[in-house]
Formats: sequence, C-alpha cells, structure tokens
Amino acid sequence: MSPLLELKNLGVTYATGSGEVAAVRGVDLVLEPGDTLGVAGESGSGKSTVAMSVLRLLPRSAKVSGEILLDGEDVTAMKWGRLRAVRWAEASVVFQGAMHALNPVRKIGEQIAEPIRLHPPGGKALSDAEVQAKVTDLLEQVDLPSGRSGAYPHELSGGQKQRVMIAMALACSPRLIIADEPTTALDVIVQAQVLDLLGRLVAEQGIGLIMISHDLSVLAATCRRIAVMYDGEIVEERPSAELMSAPRHEHSKALAAAFPTVGDPVSRFAPATGTPLPPEPEREGDQPALLEAEDLRVSFRDRTGKRINAVAGVSLQVRRDEIVALVGQSGSGKTTLARTLLGLQKPDSGAVRYDGKPVPLRGAGLKAYRRQVQLVLQDPTSALNPNHTVYEAVAEGPRIHGMGANEREIVTKALEAAELRPAEKFLDRLPHELSGGQRQRVVIAGALALDPGVIVADEPVASLDASVRGEILALLLRLRRELGLAGLVITHDLGLAWNIADRVAVMYRGELVEVGTVEEVLLDPKHEYTKSLLAALPGGTAQRAAADR
Amino acid sequence: MTQASTSLDPSSALVDPDERRGGTGTTRFVLTKIGEAVASLVLVIVLGFFLFRMLPGDPVRTMVRDRPTDAKMMAALREQMGVDKPLLVQFWDYVTGLLTGDMGQSYILRQPVAGLIGERLWPTVLLVGSATVLAILLGLWLGIRAAWRRKSTFDRVQTGIALTLWSVPQFWLGLILLVATNGLFPSRGMHSPDVAPGFFSEGLDVLHHLVLPCLTLLVVFYAQYMLVMRSSLIGEMDSDYLTTARAKGLRDELVRKRHAVPNALLPTVTLVFIQFGMVVSGAVSVEAVFSWPGLGQLLYTSLQGPDLPLLQGVFVVLAGAVVLMNLFAELLYRVLDPRVRTT
Amino acid sequence: MTTAEKPSGIVWRRRRETVAKHWREFATNKAGLTGLIFLGVITLLAILAPVLTDESGLYVTKVTGGSLEPPSAEFWLGTDIDGRSVLLMTYWGARISLLVGFSAAFLSVLIGTIIGIAAAHFGGWISSLLLRFTDFFLVLPSLVLAVVLAAVLDRNTATVIIAIGVTAWPSTARLVRAQTLTIESRPYIERSKALGGGHLHIIGKHVLPGVMPLVLANTTLVVGNAVIADATLAFLGVGDPNAISWGAMLQSALNNGAITRGAWWNLLPPGIAIVVVVLGFTLVGRALETVLNPRLKGQHS
Repeated sequence: MSPLLELKNLGVTYATGSGEVAAVRGVDLVLEPGDTLGVAGESGSGKSTVAMSVLRLLPRSAKVSGEILLDGEDVTAMKWGRLRAVRWAEASVVFQGAMHALNPVRKIGEQIAEPIRLHPPGGKALSDAEVQAKVTDLLEQVDLPSGRSGAYPHELSGGQKQRVMIAMALACSPRLIIADEPTTALDVIVQAQVLDLLGRLVAEQGIGLIMISHDLSVLAATCRRIAVMYDGEIVEERPSAELMSAPRHEHSKALAAAFPTVGDPVSRFAPATGTPLPPEPEREGDQPALLEAEDLRVSFRDRTGKRINAVAGVSLQVRRDEIVALVGQSGSGKTTLARTLLGLQKPDSGAVRYDGKPVPLRGAGLKAYRRQVQLVLQDPTSALNPNHTVYEAVAEGPRIHGMGANEREIVTKALEAAELRPAEKFLDRLPHELSGGQRQRVVIAGALALDPGVIVADEPVASLDASVRGEILALLLRLRRELGLAGLVITHDLGLAWNIADRVAVMYRGELVEVGTVEEVLLDPKHEYTKSLLAALPGGTAQRAAADR
Repeated sequence: MTQASTSLDPSSALVDPDERRGGTGTTRFVLTKIGEAVASLVLVIVLGFFLFRMLPGDPVRTMVRDRPTDAKMMAALREQMGVDKPLLVQFWDYVTGLLTGDMGQSYILRQPVAGLIGERLWPTVLLVGSATVLAILLGLWLGIRAAWRRKSTFDRVQTGIALTLWSVPQFWLGLILLVATNGLFPSRGMHSPDVAPGFFSEGLDVLHHLVLPCLTLLVVFYAQYMLVMRSSLIGEMDSDYLTTARAKGLRDELVRKRHAVPNALLPTVTLVFIQFGMVVSGAVSVEAVFSWPGLGQLLYTSLQGPDLPLLQGVFVVLAGAVVLMNLFAELLYRVLDPRVRTT
Repeated sequence: MTTAEKPSGIVWRRRRETVAKHWREFATNKAGLTGLIFLGVITLLAILAPVLTDESGLYVTKVTGGSLEPPSAEFWLGTDIDGRSVLLMTYWGARISLLVGFSAAFLSVLIGTIIGIAAAHFGGWISSLLLRFTDFFLVLPSLVLAVVLAAVLDRNTATVIIAIGVTAWPSTARLVRAQTLTIESRPYIERSKALGGGHLHIIGKHVLPGVMPLVLANTTLVVGNAVIADATLAFLGVGDPNAISWGAMLQSALNNGAITRGAWWNLLPPGIAIVVVVLGFTLVGRALETVLNPRLKGQHS
C-alpha cells in the first residue's frame, strides 16, 4: 500500500521584489494512512508553506519543485479540475480558524454544507434534507448543538469557531486532515478541549493528520511523530516522546525548553538562555509591599449597557525584589487589573498604593508615579512607534519627565542594561530593522530609562519565537537579581511562572482565587480552577508525568 | 490529555469567556437611527435659515445688489419676505411655514416656492434615480471584474478610464455630449411640444429627452462606484476565508460570487449611499446644462437673482432628501450585514 | 561613525532616509510620476504667466481678433465671442484654478484634520458630538451648500475659496479620525501614556506625525475636487465675475451661443485643461496613498 502522503524533495520559493526567496528546501516526509505527524517550527521556518503546498493553496508568487504524492498521485501535476475534486474530498484543512478562516457574512451551517454539496458522497447529489442531516450530525460530532447551524461566525467564541472548522474538515470524510496552528490564540483550557476533540475524531475515523504548530507540547499531545523545521529544512524527525525527552538538534532543544514542564526542578528559575544567570542574592526576610492593590474594583458597560465586573475586589501585593506572576485566561480581568495598577484605568473603588502611599488619579502626582512603575507590552512590534529610532523610543520617557541634561548617557545605560550591546550600534535603528527579541529589549530599555521600582509586563513573551522567549525571561530574572527590580508578569502560561516567578496569583472572572508561592500554587493547587488550568497543560506537569510512569 | 478534559466538565461554563450575549433589539436600533435623522433634519432647517442671514444687512440687500433699486421697492420686498421683523419672529414664521408647506414666494418666478418644488421634484427623482441605478450596476460589475483580474489589461484600461472620467466636470461632459451627438437627442427640457398625446408616446418622448442628462450623470458616477468596488474587493482578496473556500474545491468563479463579493459589497453599498449628496450635487449642473425641469434647474434659476426664498426652499428640500436617503441606507445596511445585526 | 553623532542628528538623518525611500517608491509609480511632472510644469507656467505673456490680451477693450475666429496661425486655439485668444485665456485660467484649488484644499484639510483628530482623541461626549457633526456635513450635498454660500456672500475669489473650503472638509475629517483611532489603538500609545505622556505629547509625537502622510495624500485628492468645484461654481454663475477662469469660459461659451454656433474651440480647451489638472492631482494622490498608507499597498494599480 502506498503512503497517504509523501513529500519528495519539496522546495518552495517565493518571488519577491528583491529576487527569489527559498521558503522550503528539500523536505521529505511520509505519512501512512491513519498516522499522525506534527510539524514544529518558529515563524518563518516554512512549516505553513509545507502545509499549504499539499493542496496547492500557496499564493501565485510561489514556485514549487519536487513531488507531492497524495495517495500516490502527484498534486503538482494535477489539472485544475482534478485538483478541485481532490481538495476537501481527499484532504481537508483546519485553518487557524478562530479568527478569519470563516466567511463572516454566511451562516456556519451553510459553510459546512458547502463542501458536502460540492463533493457529494458517491457522486450523487444530495437532497437538502440529507445535507441538513449531515450538517447536524457533524455539529454533534464536534459537541456543538445543531441549533447553532444558523449562527454567524461572530456569534461564536474562538473555541466554537475552531469546532466549526473541524466539523467542516470532516464534512467529506477525507483521508487526510491538515491542521495549521489549530489552537493558536485559544485559551489553555479551550485548547486542550479542541486538541482532544481533533485527536479523538481522527483516531476514530482513521484519518491521517498533519498538525502544524510552534508549540512542541501541543504536537506531542496529539501526534505520534514530530518533525522539526528550521529555516526551510527538516532538522529532526522522530517519535514524539523521544523528541520531547531527548531532543538532538540545537533548534529542537530550544523549542522544547521554551515550554518547560511545570514541576520539573531543572527549569525552576532557569529559563533557556545562552548567558548564565547571576546567583540569587541574599534576601532579607519579608520585604514590605512596594506596589499594592487593595480591594480594587473596575467595571465596564458592555454594548447592551450591562455592567461587567472586570476586576471584582482584588487585593494583591508586589514586594521589592520579587516577581509575581498573574495567571488567568483571556477575559479573566488580568489586563484590566494591570492597567488599573498603572493608572491607565480608573478604579470604581479600592486603592492602589505605591511604597505605602496612595497613587493619585491625575495630575503631576500621577505623572510622578509613572516614573516608578513601568509597562512592558505583549507585542514589541506594535509597542514601538515604527517611525521612531531606538534612541527616540528609549528617550521618550526621560523627555516626558524632563530628565534632559545627560539624556544620551541615560539612553545608553538603559540599552546596555537591557543587553543591547554595544548601545551605539542600536541608537539609529528603526524598529523594523530589529528582530522580535531585540524590539522587546528596546521596550524594556525604555522602561529602565526611568529607573523604575516595578515593571508590569503583560504577556512579555507571548508573541516571540521560542528561542527568544528564554532570553527575555532570563533578562527579567537578571534585572530582579542584579537591580532588585520587582516585576508583575501577566501571563496565561504557567510554564513562564515556573521559569521566573516567586509567587503566583491566579485570576478567574475578576477575582484572585489563589495566591501563593509558585511551588504552593502550581504543585499543590487548592482551587478547582487552578487545578483545571494545570490539567489542561498539553505536556502535563512533572508530578503527573511521574505518577503515570 | 483525555482525562484533562473530563475533569473540566463541572466547570465547563467557564470555557467560553467571549461568548456573546444576544443582540440588541432591532426596534432600539431603528428608533436610534430615526432619532438621529430627525436631529439632522432639524439641523438642516436651522442651517437653511441662518445660512441666508449670516451677512450683515439683510437678504434683500443681497438679492438686489447688482441692480438699481429704490428704497421703496426694497421696503416692499422686506415686508413681503418678512425680514423687517425681529430675527426670532422670522425664524418662527419660517419653521411654522415649513411645517404647513409654505416656503414663501419666489421673487423671480412670482409663484409659491412649495408649489414650484412640488412640480420639479419628479423629474429630478426620475433623472437621479435612473442614473444612480445604472451607475451602480455598471460600476459594481466592472469593479468586480477589474479587481478579480487585478493588474490585467482589462483592469488597467478600466481603471484608467474611470480615473479620467472621475476628473471630468459633469457640466462639461454634458456640453461635449450635446455637441458630439449633434441633435440626435433633444438638448433641452423633458417634453417635446409636438408629441402625440397618449401614455406610450409621451413616455417614449420623456425617455428620449432623458438619454443625454442620464448618460452624463451615469458616466461620472459609475467611475466612482467602480473604483470603490474595486479597492473594496481587492481588500478582501487576501482574506483567509477565501483560502478556505478554495481549499474546499470551489471554482474560482464561485469563490468570487459566494464569498468575496458579498463581503466586499457591504462597504461599497454604504459609500454609495453616503455619497448620494454628491449625486444630487451633480444633478444640479447637469440639469442646468440640459434645462431638465428638475430641482437642480430650479436651483440654477434661483441663482440668477439671486432669488433667496427659492434658493432656501430648494436647499432645504435637497438636504432633507439626502438625510432621508442616508437613513434608508443605514437601515438597509443592517439588513445586509449580519455582524451589525447582532452586535 | 555614529558615536560622534548628536541624537537630533540621528533623527534627522533617519527622517531624510525615510523621505528618500518613499520618493524612490513613488518614482516607480509611472502614473503618479507623470501626474507630478505635468502638475509641476503647469504650476510653474501659471506662476510665470505675467512674465511670459502679455496680460493686455485678456481685456475686451484691447483685443485684436474677431468674434469666434476658428484656430489659426495667429490664434492657435481661436478666439472667444469678444475676440480674445482662447489659448491666452486658458493659460491665465490656470492661475485662478490652481489658486482656488490649493487654498480651498488647504482650508478644508486644516479644518478636517483638527476636527478629525479631536473627534478621535478625546473620546466621550466631545468626540460623539464632533462625529455627529461631521457625519451631518458629510451627508449633505457639499456642492449645493457651497453654491448657496457663494450666492449669499459677496462675489469674489475669496468667497469661492471659503465656500469650497468650509464644505469639503468632512471626508478629510472622517479619514483623519479613522487613522487617529488606528494609531491610538496601537500599544505604543499605551506605552507612551504609561511613560507619563499627556494629550499634547501623544498628539504631537505620535498622532500628528502618524496622520500627516495620509493627510498629504488626501490633500492632493482634495485639490483636484476643489478645482472641479471651482469650475462648477463659475459655470453656475456664482464665481468671481471678474476672474478669467476655466469655469467662467465654459459658462460664457454656453450663454453666448458659442456652442450652438459650433465653436468647439471655445468648449474643448478649458475643459481639457480641467481634466488634465484634476487627473494629475488624482494620480499623484493615489500614488502617494499607495506609498504612504501601508494598508493600501498594492491596492491601486
């Protein structure tokens, strides 16, 4: 029997303004019927190009070489008519559908029915009733009530949209499903459910699966084998468990280290970094609280005029010389809490105190406070004005606060502290000339230029590539150890907390449900919600892994 | 992995943090929009009054500025127009007049303004209506084709033509058509004096008169609609849902018809309606060129005086009509776009 | 090399590089470049008109030609009803058209930018009020409004500029508002606020520099519209009665029966002049939009 999918020496080049750019080079892959294969890699590694080439869905500027054998038939040589017949009937795609892969102005039922009408089973056209029955059946398979078939995509949550994508992919009972980052942008718990659903349906129906992701643990949870791509090539391909426990290639190691196992002592206070961390300084007992929230409440009106309590009575302390991780899923109110602490959002009631004194809500007092507490945002690309040089970006704070005189010295020092050395080399760069990691360092330098006491970092590594992630986390930890800089790190990623935080606060529906040291909360969770967060980790925790063994 | 999700069942309510609540009521939306339109109409009425009284002196001075007039005539005019009264009384008279359908007396034509406007309304509706419908059909059709085959010769040629036409002043285009067709179509008015009575022959006669003014309006406005539709569709072309549609095995034509066009149509439709004021502006100069007996020509006539009561009346009616069209557009948009319906 | 450079030197060097980069990109747009060259030449000629030609040919009392003479060696584009050279009139008409076009566009873009930024930046009731206000004027037939204004005010060129300027701003305001909202939704604004930046800082350092490129492209398009509006006002008889403008030439051609008498040379030159100038502005504006608005990259051909 021939393999379900075989890529032979696949190469893809894109024609760009400045000549041909090779996105994929000499990729060989084999997938047997019913087998599951994960393709891992950072952005730009060519993994999505490989996935899209299978059904020839690449943009016109792409040139494909080599062979793509789907059930023994070369896709690159197919006529358009044959290709259209193969699409979706033989192989279907689960796009990163939480966002835009569904047509916003058509009902999801119609969108699921579309391929059924187009590729009727056995070549006989189905009646409307039969199509409807099939749609209902598909929706049930992905645990959506059949009543939802009349809904438009915007009426569904991210997880529901992804379920619709899966139902759609199953519509013509294909032999192969290609899932391109199917759970990116979904919350941990929803991600776990979607992965579970996809894995179960594929196994039940004997469908072959190729899953693309930047997250090794996601792939390991669903796929039997994993191929790691780097710079357009496959650098390592092995069974999942093997690759996860003992990655061989440099790059696989970086990917694996980016998603540490919670509870694994090796990765505690040890983010993946090339430069060694300074030792833990002597800490003098219990420090007083530096930044403090007391019974903070913030509410918004939604479109219907109903009050939503985004932050419902939160008391939290960040002490000198410690990093606190604020953990929760999107919509839990953690970002609102951070904005309120920074004075960007007015609380309904409660107080924010800095160094024991209440923070003024406006005027010069608020401006002075803002020198003390600094913000680092998730996406460094958009956190820097694209037209400002690194110098301007870092000098913005000192200028606002009239620190004038030795501005250049301040900027240079801040850049060096953020490990952009030598600082002179970066002063005249524009953000688009820097890598993602360097941009985030510039943002951090901009914060350091004001010599703050606390840094509030909102998902500081969520949009960075795996290999950069560890370096930025190490920087935060180093700043804490060397300068005594306190940090409040907002994240959905429990591994991050395990990597660098001293204490964890778990936020759920506007309230802190559990606060304690990292070891207390992550190894011995008390609250149901914390437990479910930990249970949803694709890689599991070290405790559970040990128990399973 | 699998046990992970089962342990979640008791708390599955927390799974969808961004689950939306039901949409706001349609009634509330419609009432808000009607409220906004009424506010706009009030603004139009206020504007219609103060625009004509913002100069030092009074409207009568403006009206007679280019001709010899003695004090007695001016006094008579002032009394006839009521501008000798205090401003607030004038405004009251103006508003109550509007509400009872009294817009004063035309100075040039010596007839009630309301009656004149009533007479001239339908020719304008006929002209603007037919030109808009044709322009939308032609513009959208060409825009879709040009965008879908972007950078093809068809696209380049059509975009070039549209850009050129867009740069043409309408009245000049009208004059050119007039000269170029050289008597093939009637050049003035809407009826021939010598036409046989009867619905069919009279209708044909009107159509014959309609050709040139309608063509003039059509040619400039289709270009605009085409350019808007084209860029709107090009904006949708890289959308992920189109990749989904292609992956399903749909033919290119169906991808376009079922998925791309319905999405690109929405912004275009809004723009078409928002720019309805522009069409009305265009109609003024075209009607002036072809002596089409509509509101535009009435406006043109009123400028000759200037006949301020007539100008005021036409302005209020045209502006009011545009506000109503816009209200209609907003309501239509809600029917067309499901996203607006529920959020 | 950069060690000795002053920070402000860095900034200006980078700015110059950005402008140069945009210019190179603009130069690849053939239509835009053609439009720019045309406009440059026309503007230069219009400024030099009093040097290059004899103004006296425009005065009815000093004419040498006969009424409605067809094009000849002496009068390349023939004469008008009063015996004046149509070529000379068309040439001088460019001065008024460009003057009105630029001034009215400047006025309208100024109003539009201020209202647009205010309507997006401050939020709350100020913004909603300004937005409603903008939408109201956006919907109104702007040309009709301009006609009314021009009819009520004294008839001169300043009136025409004001009438067009104060009626054409809503689309600019809408555009600027949308762009301001986009910029203000970017995290670097949040970062700037967290650094302690106030309204002036945010608007001056981030919003204004961010909207200026689009405003520049928009201004170019508005100039084209203003030229058409100017011609239309003159044609409808509410322009400056003493000015020799393209619209006025067409109006007299229609009213004096030049057209019915088949004097096409009275009809074509001013009209073609309008089309060329407006098309020039449109092409330059679209090319600028493509270069300066990354969102539109590749949308215009």
